[in-house]
Amino acid sequence: MAAVELNNVSKSFGPVSVIEGVDLTIEKGEFVVFVGASGSGKSTLLRMIAGLETVSGGDIRIDGKDVTFDEPSDRGIAMVFQSYALYPHMNVYDNIAFNLKLARVGREEIDKRVKEAARILRLEPLLGRSPAQLSGGQRQRVAIGRAIVRNPKVFLFDEPLSNLDASLRVQMRLEIERLHRELGTTMIYVTHDQVEAMTLADRIVALDNGRIQQVGPPLELYARPNNLFVAGFIGSPKMNLMAGKVVEKTVGQAVVELVANAAPRLELALPDATVGDALTLGVRPEMLTIIAGDATVPSGMTALPARVESIERLGNITFAYLDAGTSELLTIQVMGHSDLEPGHAVRVGIRAQDVHVFNAAGAVMTSAIQR
Amino acid sequence: MSTRTAPMRLNLGRFVVYATLAFAVCFYGIPLLWLFVAGTRSEASLLSDPPFALGTWEAFTRTWNNLTSYNNFQIVSWATNSLIYSIGGVLLSLAASIPGGYALALSEFPGRKLILLLTLIAMITPSTAVVLPIFLEMNLLGLSNTYAGMILASGFFPFGVYLTYVYFSTSLPKGVMDSARVDGCNRFQLFTRIALPLARPIIALVAFFSFLAIWSNYFLAFVLLSDDKLYNLPVGLTALVSGSGALSNLPSNDVPIKKPEVVLAAILVVLPVLLIFMAAQRFVRSGMLSGAEKG
Repeated sequence: MAAVELNNVSKSFGPVSVIEGVDLTIEKGEFVVFVGASGSGKSTLLRMIAGLETVSGGDIRIDGKDVTFDEPSDRGIAMVFQSYALYPHMNVYDNIAFNLKLARVGREEIDKRVKEAARILRLEPLLGRSPAQLSGGQRQRVAIGRAIVRNPKVFLFDEPLSNLDASLRVQMRLEIERLHRELGTTMIYVTHDQVEAMTLADRIVALDNGRIQQVGPPLELYARPNNLFVAGFIGSPKMNLMAGKVVEKTVGQAVVELVANAAPRLELALPDATVGDALTLGVRPEMLTIIAGDATVPSGMTALPARVESIERLGNITFAYLDAGTSELLTIQVMGHSDLEPGHAVRVGIRAQDVHVFNAAGAVMTSAIQR
Repeated sequence: MSTRTAPMRLNLGRFVVYATLAFAVCFYGIPLLWLFVAGTRSEASLLSDPPFALGTWEAFTRTWNNLTSYNNFQIVSWATNSLIYSIGGVLLSLAASIPGGYALALSEFPGRKLILLLTLIAMITPSTAVVLPIFLEMNLLGLSNTYAGMILASGFFPFGVYLTYVYFSTSLPKGVMDSARVDGCNRFQLFTRIALPLARPIIALVAFFSFLAIWSNYFLAFVLLSDDKLYNLPVGLTALVSGSGALSNLPSNDVPIKKPEVVLAAILVVLPVLLIFMAAQRFVRSGMLSGAEKG
């Protein structure tokens, strides 16, 4: 039996539709991450599962039971909020114990469960403090503790780490990962941070405009994005997207001319293309090669003349941003050090097998071949 | 010392600010100061000595005894009445304002906007303008000239509803309420276990303002109460002054209420408000500021 099932779930505020016909099945013990830009509906969808937002259409099942119209507390879920949402007038112990008290759990049982949660989250020395006396990371741990003691069927996380600073975020991310490993409970996690999504998720649900764009394991979304949205959203730095046009067609193959300096042509495996089609080609930054000024172009590569606009050196990696006459600057990832400088004239090498092709509607036609 | 510290200079702007403040302190403070000093002086001293001359302890105790024992300790029962009306009215206005403001701020129901608008209208209507209708209403209910009627009328405090509404709609973190719902609070528990404990500053603020309004309310008590046993302090004070002729220039009578006694009675009216303000000051300020920042 699935842990969470969404059947044709939709939500609208008056005439404005924010979630449209979402179908999703989440298995027991799975860690599912909803990603999307702000306004994509990811938080709304989570809050609908929690019961904090009403459902306009469709139904939600948790552990096989239809909970579409149930109160949040009757759904067997626990939620961790971005703002921590601790009760300012209660100390840490009472914050964690509050839902057990409401559920009329016995005093000894409450004490046992609170202490157990405090142990798992290393909160023991802080139980007597008030939330105002805690740091951001400690507050978030208390919020998680409050969720743990309920023994929920599903944990819901609404951007739990966005209010933390960078180093703490990494630490808490590992802690959430450990928690999932130890408890084995189903978790649904909303974030706009794709590093969190890639590292935590068993499966990622990419959302845009209230619709699911793609569902799958992180690396599958990275390697084979379904459409332009997922291609642009997953991966950092983002995939390079270039406009192109089909100029010749043979069986199974098409020659695409890029809108770029020197209008280079690529021969791509495109059985469904017709001459004149406008396409978008996408190449990951690590798949592009920089060819120095006088070197010959390696076989199988198409060269694109470009000028270096800026260079970012991170020590282990260098990012080069190049103007190749495409609508946006091309980003190229070079491992280690590079002696490129802004203003240098170079050539960018593209291999046909590394190119993702999207049609005018944004849907994928061909994905890059994995190496 | 750093040489970059700006020297304290009396520029024009600063001068204007201080001058205005000094004027306000004198203008409003001097009469109050005089009132407290005058309470210690005898009638003769009030007429002949300089305005701020201090009186004597004997003069003060004599005045105090004259005032309190007059007419079978009438002023004591008036003060008690004032206290009963104020406490009753404050409790009633809190019982209405806090849940009322909470409901207006946190729930969606048909007619919510209309109720808010009516609250605003009721708030800006001068309270004296509704005294007559209230009197007629109380008459109809047979409650005029009773403690219950006076408390009921005093508890009408739309400003408190509005203050609470503003507080709850700006200062109550939404995430905390959501979290409490997930934790299993029903609507009633959301109010009693979460909102109410977080509303302490606004409860203090509403209580303070409504106390102030009820304690010093003259006109409502004047219209509603005809039995002098039920008078509150402001009405009693007027009755005392006019009944004794203390402030008129008529030939002296044998009523022991003279100018010093009247001054002392006035202090009795002012003092509780001052004391309560000083005690509640911090609460009142934090209550007024709390809407300005996120909790």
